[in-house]
Amino acid sequence: MGKKKDSALDIAPSKREKFGFGQVILGICLLAYTLFCLLPVWIVFAAAFTDEKAITQNGFAFIPSKFSLNGVNAVLKYGKQLAVSYGVTIFVTVVGTLFGLLIMSMFAYSISRKDFRLSRFLSIYLLIPMLFNGGQLSGYIIFTGYYHLKDSILLLILPLCVTTMNVIILRTYIANSIPNELMEAAKIDGAGEYRTFFQITLPLLKPSLAAVGFMMATAYWNDWQNAMMYITSNKKQPLQLLLIKIQKSIEFLLNNNNVPSSARAAMGGTIPQYSSTMATVIVVIGPIMIAYPFFQKYFIKGLTVGSVKG
Amino acid sequence: MKDFLRNTWKHRAHVVMALPVFLVLLFIMYVPMTGLVLAFKKYDFNLGMYKSPFCGLDNFKFIIASKDIFQRMTKNTILYYLVFTAIGTFLNVVLAIAIDQFFFKRLSKTMQTIMILPVFISYAAVQFIVFAFISSDTGIINHVLGTRIRFYSDAKLWPYILTTVKIWKDTGYGSVLYMSVLAGIDSELYEAADIDGANKWKKIKHITIPSLIPMVTVMLLLSVGNVMRSDTGLFYQVTRNNGSLYSTTQVIDSYVLNSILSNANFGYTAAASFFQSVIGLALMLFANWAVRKIEPDNALF
Repeated sequence: MGKKKDSALDIAPSKREKFGFGQVILGICLLAYTLFCLLPVWIVFAAAFTDEKAITQNGFAFIPSKFSLNGVNAVLKYGKQLAVSYGVTIFVTVVGTLFGLLIMSMFAYSISRKDFRLSRFLSIYLLIPMLFNGGQLSGYIIFTGYYHLKDSILLLILPLCVTTMNVIILRTYIANSIPNELMEAAKIDGAGEYRTFFQITLPLLKPSLAAVGFMMATAYWNDWQNAMMYITSNKKQPLQLLLIKIQKSIEFLLNNNNVPSSARAAMGGTIPQYSSTMATVIVVIGPIMIAYPFFQKYFIKGLTVGSVKG
Repeated sequence: MKDFLRNTWKHRAHVVMALPVFLVLLFIMYVPMTGLVLAFKKYDFNLGMYKSPFCGLDNFKFIIASKDIFQRMTKNTILYYLVFTAIGTFLNVVLAIAIDQFFFKRLSKTMQTIMILPVFISYAAVQFIVFAFISSDTGIINHVLGTRIRFYSDAKLWPYILTTVKIWKDTGYGSVLYMSVLAGIDSELYEAADIDGANKWKKIKHITIPSLIPMVTVMLLLSVGNVMRSDTGLFYQVTRNNGSLYSTTQVIDSYVLNSILSNANFGYTAAASFFQSVIGLALMLFANWAVRKIEPDNALF
């Protein structure tokens, strides 16, 4: 890359652009695209605060025709299951991300040691799953039939905790941005291998840990597929699966007029409705949307590093 | 050999540190690879995968015999890959250049933050958003147009719907990479072009776009390995796994997921998965070979 990396970040870049008619058109186009990205997210908030009857009569709208907090209140009726699901999702996200970061950075550190002969084999071992894999079906049969992990939280954590690309990002960062002399110096001062890693390397790895960690946390938070395949009991049901169940029960109600009372009871006594469903969606996507701007600069860096092998 | 063992013993701490990832990959990635033998077996639930009897190429013959379903999902998988890759790459580059050219840098940063946002919304949530737009009774599109189009039973509309959703979700995020390339262009190049009297279009044509081409090439080639794989959430969740839309929305990955969830057709599915994995491997090797020819630094291995 060139010398002036920050030129795009300057508030007023030298003589490159003059403000003129072209800029106005460009601005309008960019603004239009921004709205295209924002409006679908906005509709969730608008619908959550619209009166249920107004939605069934007039349809979804960007501006609530009749403001109401009923939808938000109805979310509280999912109360217990929502709290449980929140707990499951937070547990899986935190434990999975921390565990994954720890083991992946240890692995990345090991294979970046220069005179470690086994590291060549380990690098290839790491790369193969990216090229070739058994597919979803074999995974499913092995995990449930042979490991007997059906309905186990482990299957929400382990399949996502190591990705080849993430290890490559960490290894590239260690190779390019952490001077080897630091590690050598620590060893001369009498620090053991583990101490060198935990006290010298790991703290210096922070920017790239933030990038990888955020991407992992989003993957965990948004994972619905593993939950759908493996989780059967309600008390282990993460948020995304709860969303899917809500959608299924709405569909079921639309197709069946006579719903057994037991099914209604399972849904908290109410028929899930548009406004309350959208309020639930807010609860599910909210935390990531709040966290993301804080991590933006890190993952942009991580993305850039990851694309170029060191 | 003795040297190697001595070296490994010297680095025993590193072996220990590499062990957890080694084990996770072994049990999560490597052991399931053996499951591909299922493609050559007649699956029996009671016997399990390894003890089920071999049946030669019967599963593959079955796939070829029922060519409608198999052809349909393979065709959909490849077509969507082509459309998404072509449109996606084009829009990523256009957006990156547009943001880079925009005068108000602060404002463009804020806009960029909003543009990236959709990538972080799960498909389980996205499908509710899509529903709000295209539901036949309450959807915004039908209200604005004053029509009653039944999107959820009209298969021929779905290529457009899925493409729009994909653009909405991934374009902002996809352009970040190209923006970082643009940020690295030496501004002296632009100044030199100014002195030579180049106008803005000429500068974009002769400086900006050429500088993006290596990255575009690499990203395209690397994506070749994923021709047979799809964004399962898009095809399973957004379509609500609606059977009447399968003709335009079923891809191999969503077919496999369906058969897992309904516990059916494991032999057939295994053969389809095998096909998917082998083609994926071949294309990935080809892609890496091609990247190595063009930009050795960006090759994966």
